[in-house]
Amino acid sequence: MITSKKIVLIGHFGVGKTSLIRRFVENTFSEDYKVTIGVHISKKTIEISDNKTSVSLVIWDLEGQDDIKKTRTSYLLGTHGFIYVFDLSRPETFKNLKSELSFLSENYKNIPVKVVGNKVDLVNKAYLTQHTGTFKPLVEFFVSAKTGSRVESLFSKLARELF
Amino acid sequence: MLDNYKKKYHKHNFQYILIDDYGNVIESDDTLFFIKRHCKIQNIHPFFEILENLNIIKNECFEFSCIHIEFKTNTFITDITIYSEKSNENLIVIEDLTKHYNNYQLTAQTRNESIINSQVLELKNEYLLEKEAFKNNFIANFSHQLRNPITASIIFSELLIDSDLSSDQKNYINIIKSANRDLKNRIEDVLDLSKIESGKLILVDKVFSLEELLNELIEAYKHLITKKNLEFNYILDPKLPEYLNGDSYRLKQIVGNLLDNAIKFTKKGSINLSVSLNYERANKANIQIAVSDTGIGIHPENHELIFVRFKKFPSVIENNNGIGLGLSIVRYLVLKMNGNINVESEVNGGSKFTCNISFKLTRYNKSLKNKLVEDLKGNLASKQSILLVENAELIQLSVLKIIANEGGFYLNIITNGNDVVPHIINHNVDLILLSNTIEGFSAMDITTSIRNLSKEYRKTPIVVISSEVFKEDLKRFKQAGANAILPKPFDKKSLLEKIYKYVK
Ligand SMILES: Nc1nc2c(ncn2[C@@H]2O[C@H](COP(=O)(O)OP(=O)(O)O)[C@@H](O)[C@H]2O)c(=O)[nH]1
Ligand SMILES: [Mg+2]
Repeated sequence: MITSKKIVLIGHFGVGKTSLIRRFVENTFSEDYKVTIGVHISKKTIEISDNKTSVSLVIWDLEGQDDIKKTRTSYLLGTHGFIYVFDLSRPETFKNLKSELSFLSENYKNIPVKVVGNKVDLVNKAYLTQHTGTFKPLVEFFVSAKTGSRVESLFSKLARELF
Repeated sequence: MLDNYKKKYHKHNFQYILIDDYGNVIESDDTLFFIKRHCKIQNIHPFFEILENLNIIKNECFEFSCIHIEFKTNTFITDITIYSEKSNENLIVIEDLTKHYNNYQLTAQTRNESIINSQVLELKNEYLLEKEAFKNNFIANFSHQLRNPITASIIFSELLIDSDLSSDQKNYINIIKSANRDLKNRIEDVLDLSKIESGKLILVDKVFSLEELLNELIEAYKHLITKKNLEFNYILDPKLPEYLNGDSYRLKQIVGNLLDNAIKFTKKGSINLSVSLNYERANKANIQIAVSDTGIGIHPENHELIFVRFKKFPSVIENNNGIGLGLSIVRYLVLKMNGNINVESEVNGGSKFTCNISFKLTRYNKSLKNKLVEDLKGNLASKQSILLVENAELIQLSVLKIIANEGGFYLNIITNGNDVVPHIINHNVDLILLSNTIEGFSAMDITTSIRNLSKEYRKTPIVVISSEVFKEDLKRFKQAGANAILPKPFDKKSLLEKIYKYVK
């Protein structure tokens, strides 16, 4: 049987969590914004290239919160990996990045967290240096659900770490 | 009784499912959707993979709200409760709340959209402001850097004209001179524009002689216009008041710009300047300035556009000369002076620009008259000693040449700000020309330290040669004790005027 792992996407609303999942699972993108309420769950089986084994990712798309502490704890039960998404074009979504991350690491010890800046297609280099200066080292991926840039590698890197 | 009603009005929005510890379905009432017996519930929907984490704990209840369950073509939005009863028996209760949650979705949609929009707007605004500030700083810095080379270029071409040259060479120099003048004006335009945009363009209110201003303009333009083989007609209303209160520099800029444009777009015929008094009322004089030409004209469609920055029209492109910034600045200045400007023109029918501006009247005062360089010159009793504090070699050389040609002065040059005070104490200095671009020193500090010396030294007149052109900067120099400011780029005449005015 294929083993599966639970991955949870968290972050403010509108940062592109749903879009990243749709890009990864269905390879589609829509400009329209439909607010996610509660949780959507989808599943995708991928191959981890190094040992040719198939693994399943059960991906939980949570309703966006402007404060991570408001997330219902039942949603996070049994999580194997977090993807923390923020919107590069909206500083409001990453101004508390550090405290949000330390909340995660205190309450969910040893669960890996990938920190992801989405909508990289909307910003230029100068903007990135200017606005992400202080926490840039924390960010592992700059991705775009719209262009698909680095989305695949984000999920497969996390998968490799989990299996 | 109640049981009857309960049966009748029972809401069919709950589904009960019994599963074993591995997730195999034992029973289901199938209220919401049909589930095959003995299949794994994890295969119905990935939500149920959560069971793998739960089945170790018995006698517990886990509640999950607002879970989307896609089943075939339907999506239910549900609250799900999982009771792990005894070994191998777990109850799943699914409550369908789709309608309720859809309403909630609508509220959340409006709320989130409006929050995101305001965040994006705020950022855009911040971004634009940053860009704006960067642009204005860039312009100010850049034009600042151009001042030394242009000053040198202006002064040396003036000096060359006075030397022994063939008539060809004289012509070339005149071309260079006029190019320099153009360059200088363009830089002033760009700088003015950045001042306008950053709200730093402030009009001064000072008494000036209208007669003198107009005569100066006419003298300067007579030369330029006749050189292009055009006729220059000017009419000055004898009723014009001689003295007015206002910003003479900006008035000159307005008229100058209009004349420049007229020259630029006229190949043959004449250029006419008329300045007249509309009326005098409530201690104000309303003046009309009209500049007309017999040039290429402007299509009425474009009459509004010519006042917009960086607009060009096909007829204009032909001679490769944009209208540029001039007219947009002129209009800004006229409006800022509470005046108005309009244009009458037809293609190939020449153009006429008319502005009406009010100035405060002032009582005639003879002592205000600026003395001409020639008048001032006669007063010098003995050779005067000038100290130039400047480390830009081009400017050193320019000042040296002008003063040497003029005679009547000694010039000492100091490049280090620390040497100024000792020099003043040890030598006789009649006037200090102090640059504000000496590396590592501020002209402000040097001025202050001179003004703090003992009585015999501290009165030495100081003229700051400045490439700072913003009003606040000039004010700060004056407050520190400078007698006058000579803005860069300067020419021979303006340098000599300052020198003659301040040496004893
Ligand atoms: N330009 C751009 N827009 C994106 C990107 N990802 C998402 N969006 C848009 O951002 C909005 C919110 O996306 P969504 O995935 O619903 O965000 P969520 O609330 O975090 O799930 C939608 O209008 C998307 O089209 C991206 O990478 N680039
Ligand atoms: Mg979403």
